[in-house]
Amino acid sequence: MKRILYSFVLCILLSGMIGCSALDQDKNKKEEVSSEVPDFIPLTTIKEGQPDIYVIIKLMDSSYWKVIINGVHDAGEALSCNVYYSGTNNETDWKGQQKLINTALENNAKGIILAPDDSIELSPDIEHIHELGIPIVLVDTIANTDAFDICYMTDNLLAGQKAAEEMINQLYNIGHKESDSISVGIMVGQSTSQTINERLAGFYRYWSANAPKTWTIISDIKNCNGNIDLGGTLTEDLINNYPNLCGLYGTNNGPTRALCSTVLSKGRTDIVVIGFDFSDEMKNLIESDEYTASTMLQRQYNMGYRAVQSVNALFSNRIPKIKFEDTGVVTVNKTTLYDTEVQEVLEQN
Amino acid sequence: MKNQKDLKLIQQDNRSFYVTLIICLIVFLGAIALLINSFNRLISTHDQHLSGEICTLVSEKMNNSINSMTESTRDISLILSAQGFDSPKDIYKTLKEYPKSNFLSIGFIDSDGVMYATIEERVEFEKWNLMETASMADPVSISIPYRSTVYGQSVITIFSRIEYANSKQGYMFLTYLFKDLQDIAETESLLNDIEIMLMHAESANIIQCVGGDKHASGSWANAYLSMQTVNKSDKEAYINWLNRMLNGESNIGLSYSVGKTFYSQYCSDIPGMPGWYVVVRIPSNALSATMKSFRNYVLIFLAVLLITVIVLITNMYRLTQRENRMLEQLSIHDPLTKVFNRRAFDFAAENLLARNKECALIFFDIDFFKQVNDQFGHDAGDQLLVLFSDAIKKIFGEHGIVSRFGGDEFVVLTEMPSVEKITQMLNKATDDVHNIKLDNENYTDRDFMISFSAGSARFPSDADNLSNLKKCADTALYETKENGRNGYMWFHNLSEAAKANAGSNKKAQNPSENMTIHVKNSLSKNSSCDRNNNSVTINKEIREAGDSISANGTPKKVVKKIIRKKVIRKKIVKPKE
Repeated sequence: MKRILYSFVLCILLSGMIGCSALDQDKNKKEEVSSEVPDFIPLTTIKEGQPDIYVIIKLMDSSYWKVIINGVHDAGEALSCNVYYSGTNNETDWKGQQKLINTALENNAKGIILAPDDSIELSPDIEHIHELGIPIVLVDTIANTDAFDICYMTDNLLAGQKAAEEMINQLYNIGHKESDSISVGIMVGQSTSQTINERLAGFYRYWSANAPKTWTIISDIKNCNGNIDLGGTLTEDLINNYPNLCGLYGTNNGPTRALCSTVLSKGRTDIVVIGFDFSDEMKNLIESDEYTASTMLQRQYNMGYRAVQSVNALFSNRIPKIKFEDTGVVTVNKTTLYDTEVQEVLEQN
Repeated sequence: MKNQKDLKLIQQDNRSFYVTLIICLIVFLGAIALLINSFNRLISTHDQHLSGEICTLVSEKMNNSINSMTESTRDISLILSAQGFDSPKDIYKTLKEYPKSNFLSIGFIDSDGVMYATIEERVEFEKWNLMETASMADPVSISIPYRSTVYGQSVITIFSRIEYANSKQGYMFLTYLFKDLQDIAETESLLNDIEIMLMHAESANIIQCVGGDKHASGSWANAYLSMQTVNKSDKEAYINWLNRMLNGESNIGLSYSVGKTFYSQYCSDIPGMPGWYVVVRIPSNALSATMKSFRNYVLIFLAVLLITVIVLITNMYRLTQRENRMLEQLSIHDPLTKVFNRRAFDFAAENLLARNKECALIFFDIDFFKQVNDQFGHDAGDQLLVLFSDAIKKIFGEHGIVSRFGGDEFVVLTEMPSVEKITQMLNKATDDVHNIKLDNENYTDRDFMISFSAGSARFPSDADNLSNLKKCADTALYETKENGRNGYMWFHNLSEAAKANAGSNKKAQNPSENMTIHVKNSLSKNSSCDRNNNSVTINKEIREAGDSISANGTPKKVVKKIIRKKVIRKKIVKPKE
């Protein structure tokens, strides 16, 4: 009995030791989540003899991705391509996308349009597609490889710069001078999103290079973590704590909505709001005569449309000279609201 | 079980060993806790110093890498300047002939700002305002990292001034993958923990070069947003660090915590990129991870050692205990009857009396034991002793201590609920002893009846210490014997004279005299006990017989002969109830 007990204790200790050493190794293992992925759905009228293009997106149930799919659909119909699409239900499910890539290859895809869930993990699959000579076009997110044909996405650093440029212009427009001592507050919707960080970096970059030195950015960057109610409270904090606050910048849809609502409810017509996307709150401010607001609209419809165009061109061996095309953003404000380009983008969205 | 109980009366408490063991264990664990605490503090302090040093070294390495890139660009421009080109086209043509092994693209900007490059590169330059960066080349300048339209990757462009056509000044440029810079800066050790970034002081923008999260490499962030996660107590230091950088200071260290993780951060300026700094950050636990792993192994080793030592000590203790118990059994028990020997009895009795409970001490003496030995041999004598002690133990053993005091004398010290209770027990003992049958070929139950004489004394009523108690019981025994044996007497029932004289009488007696008395009593035909009076009433006839013998003054040898004869003739009968 004693021998069994000692052996048991020894086994526990040994497994503990092994477990300790294994812990360090496991620490760096990446969490791999794979969920069930939906089957490919035909997006265009399927006709025999036309090339099959498979589109793999990040999120199936998302208004942002619906706009991209609309672009893909319209281009597919216009260029007479058989387009099928599917995607994952989680933006980190790169394994799900891997399954979809394999399905597309098994179905003899002639071209693949992919929005990679993981720039690193999916790089070997992208390279494999490229090696097979199948046109591979990326949308929204680029991969950590150059073995793709072209990528269509918004350069968010430039988008951030453009937002800062708009802020400076609007502050001048409402009468501020270079000598004025004013400040601008920033609210982000998430601190780890690369898109948001690039928009923030672009804003800072342009501001530090072009704004008058007396115009400062409040270093206390607010983060509403996607909670609009919290965003409202944080906006009030900024308004109450910084009397010389003249501008507010929201890096994405959530904070922008919170900023607009609070400025409107507080009746702060002296504060310029610059944000992203065209929400109802932003629309109210832009359309109002008293308030000053601008928003940056992405051209995600163009991403989808241009992607199909490129795949189609690659079918004819027309290889693009560039690997990355910034689909850019369009600035919407009182002046540009009714511009054809803006109306076109708004219609697409 | 009984033995165990008896042993408890004479042994030291075994729990002391376990208490000592537990105290030692607590002290040991306390020492280990202290050791771990000291070790952790040492590691923490050491890490903070060391991570600062590593940050300095890595930033120097990163700066050297950037310098190496700028130097090679500078070398090319110096060679081209020395060649004395007249036309920018010639320069561009020469540049295009350079093997593209280390860089992505190469081009030239003349003194009028005309760019000699591909259309895509021209678009890119315009998009990122790179002409302005070129104009800053003195003699070299570096662009901020940007995503190349042509290559789809993050790149940097290095500009270097070239002199041509006598005094004209143009700029050559080389575009590198930003990843190349990452590859140079990457370290084998601390790969997943060390973070190397480029930071623009004025905008506080950060671009990650190397870091644990590969997704973050080449990505942008902002120090003010990053600062939001810094612990409140360290925020002021962080802002101060940013301000010092903004004021143009270089080689600035910073220590701060994010949650429970302590970070060392260090920055140094990049000569070719005005306003830009290399920032290196290491979490202190990155360095201590190895040491902590070692510490864990030491702890496991100590735990194994501790368990082994405890098991060994416990086993050794148990072994020693077992041996001791055996020795004790040998040293405290009478080997024949297995009851306590005299020495053990004295010890155990002292312990029992120390509890201050009412007790009774009873001296037993087997009547005419010597005759049994003489008649049936020593084996029979031994058998009688064993049977007698068993009978006594059976009755008194549960609540008392039974001991063979010497020869055929036994002594019992027992807890005494009442005199009546002990008297009952004595009566029972009398009956049981009378029923003892010896297993001997010469013995028939008709030969004689085994009996005993006993004297009892109470504690503390009769005596308040063992020595006196024994004297009292002995006196009572003496009186029992004097009164014809085969019975018992309580000391407190003795006459004052008997109490007073017993000692002196006893002292006056010698063994032969006692024997004479025994003989007298044993020859009695009928003896009985007046149990209601708790005293022995010796059959008068027997007494007279004894007296007559005694009075006759028969010599001892003769007496012995008579005894033998009388015993064989079954002269002793069971006393009447």
